[in-house]
Amino acid sequence: MAMLQKKICMIGDFSVGKTSLINRFVREAYSEKYLTTVGVKIDTKELDLTNGNKVKFILWDIAGSESLTTTTVSYLRGAAGFLLVVDGTRRPTWDSALNLRQEVKKQIGDKPFVILLNKADLKEQWEMDKQVLEEKTKQGWKLLATSAKNGMNVEEAFLELALLMST
Amino acid sequence: MTNIPANVIEYIQSMWMAEMILTYLHIDKQGCLIDWGGYPQHYGLTTLVKDKSVVEQVDFLDGFLDVTHTEVLQYLNIGGNRCINAHIVPLDDGIYVLLFDVTDEHDRQQKMQQQVNELSILTYRQSQLLQELEATRITLSKEKQQLEQASKLKSDFIATLSHELRTPLTSIMGYTKLLDDAKQADEYESNYLKSVKKNANHLLSLIDNVLDQTKLEIGQIKLHPNNCNIKQLLTDLKVLFLPIAQEKGLLFDIIIPNNLPVQLIIDELRFRQILINLITNGIKYTDKGFVEVNITWQNERLEFIVTDSGPGISSESQQKIFTAFHRENTANHLPGVGLGLTISYHLVELMKGQLSVESSPQFGSNFTGFIVADSVQFANASNVQINHTNIKVLLVDDSIDLRSLIELYLENDGYTVMTAGDGQEAIKLALQTKPDIILMDMQMPILDGYNAVQQLRDKEFTKPIIALSGSNIEHDRDYAFKVGCDKYITKPIVPEDLLNVISKITKQ
Repeated sequence: MAMLQKKICMIGDFSVGKTSLINRFVREAYSEKYLTTVGVKIDTKELDLTNGNKVKFILWDIAGSESLTTTTVSYLRGAAGFLLVVDGTRRPTWDSALNLRQEVKKQIGDKPFVILLNKADLKEQWEMDKQVLEEKTKQGWKLLATSAKNGMNVEEAFLELALLMST
Repeated sequence: MTNIPANVIEYIQSMWMAEMILTYLHIDKQGCLIDWGGYPQHYGLTTLVKDKSVVEQVDFLDGFLDVTHTEVLQYLNIGGNRCINAHIVPLDDGIYVLLFDVTDEHDRQQKMQQQVNELSILTYRQSQLLQELEATRITLSKEKQQLEQASKLKSDFIATLSHELRTPLTSIMGYTKLLDDAKQADEYESNYLKSVKKNANHLLSLIDNVLDQTKLEIGQIKLHPNNCNIKQLLTDLKVLFLPIAQEKGLLFDIIIPNNLPVQLIIDELRFRQILINLITNGIKYTDKGFVEVNITWQNERLEFIVTDSGPGISSESQQKIFTAFHRENTANHLPGVGLGLTISYHLVELMKGQLSVESSPQFGSNFTGFIVADSVQFANASNVQINHTNIKVLLVDDSIDLRSLIELYLENDGYTVMTAGDGQEAIKLALQTKPDIILMDMQMPILDGYNAVQQLRDKEFTKPIIALSGSNIEHDRDYAFKVGCDKYITKPIVPEDLLNVISKITKQ
């Protein structure tokens, strides 16, 4: 069976854990050290879908920012979907994610996306407003609490996006 | 610029290309790789195959083969440690992809951005911390306010209680004294009167101790140092305690050194209280032998040692002896609540001194202490009898009993007395009759003493006003002075003290 190839972009404010999520997903690795991404890092990962299909993800880990820049806009070209990453311990990164989602929509249209509330291992420092999250879920947005540190929901997040992209 | 030879240009071009590690890929309109050049292996492109889909060979080009104008992708990390800029240039014969190595520039940018981001996170965490601190500060401030309110309620309660207890006690003690003085009582009646007097005194001492302890707890006791005839004070105490000690068959003495100044600046009332507590305890616990007070004066320090031949105190009890409500096991049958020593200890501390105990069971106890005091030059006081008949005193109190009692004291001493039952009546009378001195109860219906004094001072009444108050609270005392009182006397009133104060103040 021919392998599908899908370009997925990781978008979100800086230091929310985009690179760490990809490291966990692609290499099953995690490092406590924070290393800022400048530009974009490209990785690939092949995955067996539940429907029996195989998919090759081309993962674009885009440098974190609260809004899109002319440089980052060009990275989005050809993306089939995107993961919008939020740092659960920093409330402003949620606002950045909402803003980025609007900007991405303007640039490449209404593509499937999943919001990842990362750093779920630090729940005691959580700054997310439960009511706001519930509202978004009611609107049909897919939200997942993830942890690149302990791997919680990381693979599930990519599979969920794959599912959304296939429908 | 003059022409540069073609071979020089060629050389420079080759040098630049080598420096930039330029690689190019040529892709046809169907997306197949036609040709390449430069250093593709430098970017990990080691297995390029001609006429095959380029997207399957170079992942990042997916989505970029339909470009209609040049697209530049900056800082692409496509694996390994190298970073590239990719220029995707559509030309007539297909698409050219030019790759340049920008690793050094990327690393410089990365270092700068790293610092900016780390600083930003740090600032955010700091602001969160400040917010938390501010929230904690607000909570603590609210709690402090509540505690202060509770403390004020407690003080108010104590003041009210103090007034309510002291006022009737003044009547009881005063009338008992009058009865005792006036009546040729038989033995039974005399004993009854003694009993009433003794118990009233005991009740007053209990109230005073409980109130003092409460005030010490909330830091409301302030000292009022003044000229004190220390020799007279010690002689008075000797006169006071000698018969009590003799009644128990004890020897008692207060030894006063020759170098003791006649007058010291101390809070006389509180120093008297300290010695009374220590001597009372000595006599209370000693069944035979002696109680002796030794006074020394050295380097502006007034030292005192109260020695007794009582049962002594165990070392364990000595640790707790200055703790409130601590009582010796042997003292259960004796009156008291265990506050006297605690109060004395704290009062001595307030006077910049120390109080300690040395004792061993069966060998008596030594309570040793000192206070810091200034001495004053002594001037002989004349004992000239003064005729008080020309001195008009306005006595203001809502308690008829107390009014009659104090009126009696004053008239017996020769004063001309007028009375009023509340503040309003007092103002009217004072302005009409212009008394030489006013004795003003502070808590009265219709118009209380504080307001009455304030209004009198506003109406330029300049003669002395003595506050008579049931409250022993520092705040009330301060407020009385603030509104214009010249002296503050707490109930129950000791007739001699009151007459002394009036005499002094009218002389001035």
